[in-house]
Amino acid sequence: MSVKAFELVPAVERELLMGDKARITIECIECCGKHLYVGTNDCIIHHFLLEEHTTPKGKMAFSAQRLLQKYLGLKKPVNELKAASALERLIVLCDGTISVVDMVTLEAVPSGGARIRGVLSFCVNENPVNGDPFCVEIGVISAKRRTVHIYMVYEDRVQMVKEVATPEQPCALSLDGYFLCLALSTQYMILNYSTGASQDLFPYDSEEKKPIVKRIGREEFLLAAPGGLGMFATAEGVSQRAPVNWSESVIGAAISFPYVVALDEGFVTVHSMLDQQLKQTLSFRDGHILQDFEGKVVLASRKAVYVLVPLPLERQIQDLLAGHHVEEALTLAEGARRNIPKDKFQVMHRRILQQAGFIQFGQLQFLEAKEHFRKGQLDVRELISLYPLLLPASSTFTRCHPPLHEFADLNHLAQGDQEKVQRCKLFLISYLREVRSTDGANGCREDVDTALLKLYAEANHESLLDLLASDNACLLADSAPWLEKHHKYFALGLLYHYNGQDDAALQLWVQIVDGDLQDSTRSDLYEYVVDFLSFCSKVDLVWKYADWAIHKDQKVGVQIFTRRAVNDQTGTMTPDAITQYLQKYPQALVLYLEHLVLDRRIQKEKFHTHLAVLYLDRVLSLSQSEAPAQQVMEAREQLQCLLRESSLYRVQLLLGRIQDTELLRERATLHGKLEEHEQALHILVHQLKDFPSAEEYCLWMSASQDLGYRQRLFHLLLGVYLDPDVPGGDCTVAAVDLLNRHSEAFDAEHVLRLLPEGWSLQLLCPFLSGALRGTMHARRTAQVALGLARAENLQLKHDRLKWRGGPIFVSEKKGCQLCHNTFTEADCVCLPGGVPVHTHCAAHRAKDSPRKRPSTNPSNHT
Amino acid sequence: MPEYAKMKKPDVKLVILGDMNVGKTSLLHRYMERKFKETISTVGGAFFLKQWGPYNISIWDTAGREQFHGLGSMYCRGAAAIILTYDVTNWQSLVELEDRFLSLTDTANSDCIFAVVGNKADLTDPEAGLKEEEEEEEGEEEGGEGEKAERPARPPPTPPSPVARRKVHREDAIALYGRILRYKMLDERASLPAEKMCFETSAKTGYNVDLLFETLFDMVLPSILKKRSGNDSPTVDLEECRGAKRTKAGCCS
Repeated sequence: MSVKAFELVPAVERELLMGDKARITIECIECCGKHLYVGTNDCIIHHFLLEEHTTPKGKMAFSAQRLLQKYLGLKKPVNELKAASALERLIVLCDGTISVVDMVTLEAVPSGGARIRGVLSFCVNENPVNGDPFCVEIGVISAKRRTVHIYMVYEDRVQMVKEVATPEQPCALSLDGYFLCLALSTQYMILNYSTGASQDLFPYDSEEKKPIVKRIGREEFLLAAPGGLGMFATAEGVSQRAPVNWSESVIGAAISFPYVVALDEGFVTVHSMLDQQLKQTLSFRDGHILQDFEGKVVLASRKAVYVLVPLPLERQIQDLLAGHHVEEALTLAEGARRNIPKDKFQVMHRRILQQAGFIQFGQLQFLEAKEHFRKGQLDVRELISLYPLLLPASSTFTRCHPPLHEFADLNHLAQGDQEKVQRCKLFLISYLREVRSTDGANGCREDVDTALLKLYAEANHESLLDLLASDNACLLADSAPWLEKHHKYFALGLLYHYNGQDDAALQLWVQIVDGDLQDSTRSDLYEYVVDFLSFCSKVDLVWKYADWAIHKDQKVGVQIFTRRAVNDQTGTMTPDAITQYLQKYPQALVLYLEHLVLDRRIQKEKFHTHLAVLYLDRVLSLSQSEAPAQQVMEAREQLQCLLRESSLYRVQLLLGRIQDTELLRERATLHGKLEEHEQALHILVHQLKDFPSAEEYCLWMSASQDLGYRQRLFHLLLGVYLDPDVPGGDCTVAAVDLLNRHSEAFDAEHVLRLLPEGWSLQLLCPFLSGALRGTMHARRTAQVALGLARAENLQLKHDRLKWRGGPIFVSEKKGCQLCHNTFTEADCVCLPGGVPVHTHCAAHRAKDSPRKRPSTNPSNHT
Repeated sequence: MPEYAKMKKPDVKLVILGDMNVGKTSLLHRYMERKFKETISTVGGAFFLKQWGPYNISIWDTAGREQFHGLGSMYCRGAAAIILTYDVTNWQSLVELEDRFLSLTDTANSDCIFAVVGNKADLTDPEAGLKEEEEEEEGEEEGGEGEKAERPARPPPTPPSPVARRKVHREDAIALYGRILRYKMLDERASLPAEKMCFETSAKTGYNVDLLFETLFDMVLPSILKKRSGNDSPTVDLEECRGAKRTKAGCCS
């Protein structure tokens, strides 16, 4: 009993109809516009004018005015009345006879006179196939003959068009198009009177209970079924809707979309056709007739007539919503879709969806609420405004009027239950996120984003940073105090940055790093700031905070410069300016120079020399301070590496500084850079006695040179090994090893001449066989190359002969293909295909043909 | 009813038949609302729309009571699949399928599919007694409480130890399926095999319920397609018309 769909309003009171005559009862009624006809058991037709008006209290009421009453002259009750308003005729069934009377005068139609006798019941086809507006089609049940007749009633005559036999005696019928829906004595059936096809519906005992056959729409009927059911059946005999559950004693049924109204002994019940649920029950004793006329549901007891006035749809829906019957309200609204103009429906439907959403929101059914908000295209600010303080102060939003819900705000809704408040907030977060990702936030992005920011900050939500780091429309003025309140200083910095106030952002962050403000969002905030500065395009800001950053940690701080994009380093950000600036911070300076020289490979002598000098200083200071050997070693390796790899630094300068130190290896490298290989090798071999390094030296010094250079170096090394002036004989072993390992780098002939006589063949076997194999290989390779070149030459010769073709015969009897004259001399030109033509003809042709005109000769155009 | 699809036109119809108190409504409830709850004796019939891919399938739940028997053939008219339901603890419920309900299916589509389903398997089969999904149970008793009064022969409420009174075996159901095919004068070899069309389910635990409905949905899809293509719809298809004309012209010339 969720809806109040109808109100019972008296229409014709007992006094007006029959006064105090106790035996008189109402038998039938007909309502046509404002005209109400009532047939009574004393064979009288009463004609009333029914005026509708609203009482001062706002209730609907009817006043009936008796226009006429007509006695039909019999002692029988009036059984049925049907108006044919287009014809101004009233069709009357009384005493088994159908007669036609004038609607106004209730007099029998003079010229018509046609009466149909032996009639049990009849019905009007409200959806006739024949489109003639000046006739009415009725279906008539014969009292005895198990037939149904179809008649056409015209203004002045009645004409039978069809007679249909039925398997049993029919007792009630309804018509739609060609379809007769009949209640027979033991079952219901559908009969197509045009084709004669029939369709049994279901069994029913008409003896036991009065059948009901009610057309409810195009080719669909409502039938009383066993067990007090109201069954729906289409003309095809299919049930498309679930049955409604009436009581066993149901007397009559009527339709007022979307409701099925039924009458039984004590009640009027209202079921929805949409969900088949019982919606309303009205107590009504002694009900006798229930019928609908053009949407108006009229109810009669034996003594008085009432109208069931439907309440406006929106009112019903609002009542349902007020009772929190969300689904029913929506079903009702959607069911009415067809009956309401589209744009009006959409507005209404949207509002109902929104209201439904808020009801479910209030019940914390967030999933359903969200769905309804989405479908109802809710202005998301309606929802945000429920949460205190979330909408920015600058927002122009005002809540919709009349209000969509009954809540003042979230606290009102939650009644102080903090857990509820939290759940609502979480819901809003997820909802706003979805709104942001669709275009639902159109026009109020600032409000949405600011609200979301506040929620995130309050809930300590990790997405706060994502929001601020991505494209957003958070209002700074409104968000800043909120973030401060929740100690989200880092986030506030991000917001400042997003709004172009990098200085303010950096100030905040510096304060956090220095511990003046408490915000543990990022433990690596210092690194973050450095990173930020390295990308910051505002040069003055970078300079402003560079001191702070590098002072804190030179190694990390220098990243401000080293991570900076190369094309950003202009103006006051040139490498020169930076190196100048970094003089104060030696560690940072080295790192920066390393970045320039090693990473970016800037080819500038200044930086290379600077770095080399710094490296050297470090090595020297380390070795003097007696630092751990490991550390000295590493520093030296760095220096050596730079000295080897780079060739831009000023060698002489470094050599000068290194001269008096123990750094022999470095000195060798420097000598090498000056092409003073003999000195270099001498240091390596005789001072350091490091033969592998000497070999390596030869290899990398000649790495990018030709074979001759390498040979020269190796011979030099061999020479140093074999140098008899230097004391210490163990160089011989090194020399042998060198020869045996690098046989390909020596000119064997030259070496043999150099070697002392006393060396055994065995000793030099690997070298010799290597050298021999090398020369043999070279020889054979050369032979193969020679052979291949010859073959190619031969092939080309063959091709040339082939393409030149056979001889071409020219004689005086042979004509030129172009001018058709004979040849007079032996000179000729061969066209492709070996056709001989005159030389002048060929020249002529070449001149005329634009394709073949030589492009080098553009003057030929004219 | 969370369906907004109420107004949509169903593409195909599926009907559940069976004696009262075998659990037809509970089966449908379990499938549609994922829970087992107390149902009252169905009056007349009820239907649900199920969205299955792009199609709307209407599922009719019928009343098992004798009183509403006459309505059955109307529900079955035009049905593409019929689920004949019995109670595995009640031999008579299987007998009734053949005696009373089979004749109702005369109005169904000629290519209608039949499934024979033994419900309440949780009472006899320990495996079916296990919950398929962990959901809150609302009704402690088996379904069809409201019908209790009308049927004195109803077994007592669920005993703690099941595996008790199995009265109908799977072989009986398979045999019934064979007889249904014979009644429908269908070739057993050309029809769907009995092994595939006989189910044992439990609306209480959810055992086999999804399998039952989804197997049937997949099987009726061809019937939808046939209905769609075979419909001589009142809409004139201009493309089709043009095609037909062309071939005709080609034929005559």
